[in-house]
Amino acid sequence: MRIQVRRTGGFAGIERHAEVDTAGRPDAEEWRALAEGALASGRGTPPAGVPDGFGYEITVDGRTVYCADPRLTDEQRALVSRVLKEGA
Amino acid sequence: MVRHMTTNGGFEPVFCTVVPPHVLDRLARHDDPALSGPARRTLVRDSELRGRRRVTTEFALASAPLAKAPSDQPLRTVYDAGHGTALPGTKVRGEGDDPGRDATVNRAYSGLGATFELFLKAYGRHSIDGDGLPLDATVHYDEDYNNAFWNGEQMVFGDGDGEIFLDFTIPIDVIGHELTHGVTQYTANLTYYGQPGALNESMSDVFGSLIKQYTLGQTAAEADWLIGAGLLAPGVTGKALRSMKEPGSAYDDDVLGKDPQPATMDDYVRTGRDNGGVHINSGIPNHAFYLAATALGGNAWERAGQIWFDVLTGGELPDRAMFTDFASLTVKAARERFGDAGDEFRAVAKAWEQVGVRIP
Repeated sequence: MRIQVRRTGGFAGIERHAEVDTAGRPDAEEWRALAEGALASGRGTPPAGVPDGFGYEITVDGRTVYCADPRLTDEQRALVSRVLKEGA
Repeated sequence: MVRHMTTNGGFEPVFCTVVPPHVLDRLARHDDPALSGPARRTLVRDSELRGRRRVTTEFALASAPLAKAPSDQPLRTVYDAGHGTALPGTKVRGEGDDPGRDATVNRAYSGLGATFELFLKAYGRHSIDGDGLPLDATVHYDEDYNNAFWNGEQMVFGDGDGEIFLDFTIPIDVIGHELTHGVTQYTANLTYYGQPGALNESMSDVFGSLIKQYTLGQTAAEADWLIGAGLLAPGVTGKALRSMKEPGSAYDDDVLGKDPQPATMDDYVRTGRDNGGVHINSGIPNHAFYLAATALGGNAWERAGQIWFDVLTGGELPDRAMFTDFASLTVKAARERFGDAGDEFRAVAKAWEQVGVRIP
């Protein structure tokens, strides 16, 4: 499973992008559950968000959803944090 | 007509939109506070919704005070999210409380006060809604959170990750920037996308910088015109996040990349990202403000700042304003406020010309 996260906006307006390929990882199942949860509560188009809030684009195996701070679900927040921290 | 406006069983009289504005205007001037008070409040609220400053200056400030005049003191509350994301979090400092041990909390509290003071002392505006709205801020939001934002009701500050960004309460202009988003929301309510979004961002940078200049007692010539100085971690190559003096020059770093801000319309960036480049193209109106303020000299909040404030809160700026709409209104506001014989409107018109924004 290939999970990509693109974060845009924010006070600095600096974009960040990272991705994780879960194939062969011992925690692949954990990633899969997180990714499915994040996708299920995501939106098909970018939500309006708030001034200076981060906007997120989450793509899992080619399927893309959007969400924005501060209204992220727990799964979305956990997923984007992990991908941006651990991903390449 | 008047009969419908009188109080009814202790309830606040209700003025719906069916009451024509000119009637409300007349009532607002009425000698009887029972009539003028509610009419004024309706006009003020209406004005806030549509971004009209006129009624507040004509009635709320110039004539008899409102039934409940807003205080000249801020009403600040700082909360601690404890590195979680639930808002507002635990209350850690209220208005009038002594400083505690947490420097982040103390900086947020001071920054709220500085912002309140500039808007009140320089422009006669009581808090961000013009009616004494309590100022709430949450610090220590999430973990290693590299951002600060205004959520429509309060400010939220992250601690930064320590590698790229430090604590977002460090620069006072960042605190002022976030609160100015609140002022914009209650006035022109500029749509947060494309050019109106870049204007929204620019308003926050302009007044954020003015709050810093006012607090430090700096003239336009003395100011650094940087946004977010002190926010970048020591290892990052850069001096701040944005420069109003020289957009595009704030940072150039291996990890962060290069400051993408244009200074003129020739380099306007067309993009769908970042809400249509709101943090990128804000460089253009930011630079226009810098040029006007430095051409006029002295304290930037006094003349250039007043003109920008008049436009932001004056009621004529559409929520989907483009740069050229805003520019035209600043020239008009400069003439109205300082006269046709003054330097002000010429300096403002020239500033827009220099950044390539044409005034029809």
